[in-house]
Amino acid sequence: MTDTQWPRFIVFQQAKVDAPHQYAGSVHAPDAEMALMNARDVFVRRPTCVSLWVVPSTAVFSRTAEELAEKPLSDESNEAGMAAPQNYIIFQKATHKVGYNYTGKVNASTPSQALAMAFETFTQRSSRAWWVFPEQLMTRSTSEDIEALFAPALSKDFRDQAFYHTVAAMQQIKTRSQDNSTDES
Amino acid sequence: MYGTPIEPIADTQSDATKLAAFEARIARGEKIEPGDWMPDEYRRQLIRMISQHAHSEIVGMLPEGAFITRAPSLRRKQILLAKVQDEAGHGQYLYHAAETLGATREDMIEALLSGKAKYSSIFNYPTLSWADMGSIGWLVDGAAILNQSMLAKCSYGPYARAMIRICAEENFHKRQGQDIVMTLANGTPDQKAMMQDSLNRWWWPTLMMFGPHDSDSPNSGVLMRWGIKTRTNDELRQMFVNQMVPDLQALGLTIPDADLRFDEVSDNWMTGKIDWDEFWRVVKGDGPCNAERMEARRKAHVDGQWVREALAAYAANDKQVET
Repeated sequence: MTDTQWPRFIVFQQAKVDAPHQYAGSVHAPDAEMALMNARDVFVRRPTCVSLWVVPSTAVFSRTAEELAEKPLSDESNEAGMAAPQNYIIFQKATHKVGYNYTGKVNASTPSQALAMAFETFTQRSSRAWWVFPEQLMTRSTSEDIEALFAPALSKDFRDQAFYHTVAAMQQIKTRSQDNSTDES
Repeated sequence: MYGTPIEPIADTQSDATKLAAFEARIARGEKIEPGDWMPDEYRRQLIRMISQHAHSEIVGMLPEGAFITRAPSLRRKQILLAKVQDEAGHGQYLYHAAETLGATREDMIEALLSGKAKYSSIFNYPTLSWADMGSIGWLVDGAAILNQSMLAKCSYGPYARAMIRICAEENFHKRQGQDIVMTLANGTPDQKAMMQDSLNRWWWPTLMMFGPHDSDSPNSGVLMRWGIKTRTNDELRQMFVNQMVPDLQALGLTIPDADLRFDEVSDNWMTGKIDWDEFWRVVKGDGPCNAERMEARRKAHVDGQWVREALAAYAANDKQVET
């Protein structure tokens, strides 16, 4: 068997229940189940996550504003063919400064059709880039996973720099040694 | 950092136009993203830097990993375990950032295991006592944070974002190291002597981490022009020295540098001469632990082979059942 690093899965992370899923990075894994486990180990060592989504990187249809300026989506719509409609998940990168955030889902026959529909309803034309992929190819953590995947990070307060009072203690030591040298002189 | 300098060359008219637009974007402070046009040399330099950085995180687990079983308390053990786990995660963030430029995970791992790739020379020094966990956390990670805070502002989006995440987590590493140093420096005479011995061994290698002097750093020009680096090796090294010297001295520790002095005019702590022969020896593979570190990485790779094969077989089987 060839020793590869396995397919790449894109990882999306949700920090709070009412926040959108955000693009976190990617992991390599033999299947979606292991991708979720790896995503948890790589991206959730701190209590900042309530849900993870993973999708194979090959399933993601990606367009930037520059690409759409050169080749509009209308040029692609005839590629729709006979594919049965399904739900597509849409992520957008709103500005140069922010990452990809979840914006919604639409029912369409192709990714380009899905993106065109998203533009009509909820996605901003002014954004920099978009990702579209079929919902059925995405794997998500479930509410039953929360305890096993995300709860352990909650008790590890020593991973937070505020746990250590070294800066204040250092200040005290310096003040004390200054006082001492003043006393001696 | 090290490598051969190559000047950017625009070979066609359209490349010249694209290069001008690219440099204008960087001048405006925009981030360059994976799908965007970029000069080949920008891509090459970034892959070189990011993969070296990733390897450093992975190899960097080894010196501290050796002390997890020897931590002096359960709490210290938990902290060290969490820290080493973070380094593994940082390696993963960085490999991912390099992949956005077209590098493959297979090639990068192969380059590390074959000894072709470089990683930070600091990890080729041995950890001999618990005090070294303090020195690595406060000095080594403190030095790394200065470099990484600069890179968090770099022009390539995925690298900058990985750095922002890493810096936030590294601050925990630095603080826990400072906590160990302060505890030992205020401890028994034996503990204090152990801390002093550790500082004697780590001080100079930490100063070398920032890389050669600016006059000997061939890549700096192009890296600064394209907003990958915004400060020079010597600038960062001086910031580090100015930060560390007063704190270490306040703790009653002695910096192992007879020539160290405070320069009233520039407001800087001036160090003695760095032994660059030692630096190049270690970079080129002849440091105290180079062979040991590579051996440990290769062993881990081979030992994990059956796990990777089992997972791949399970995934293949699962796929067959579905179809």
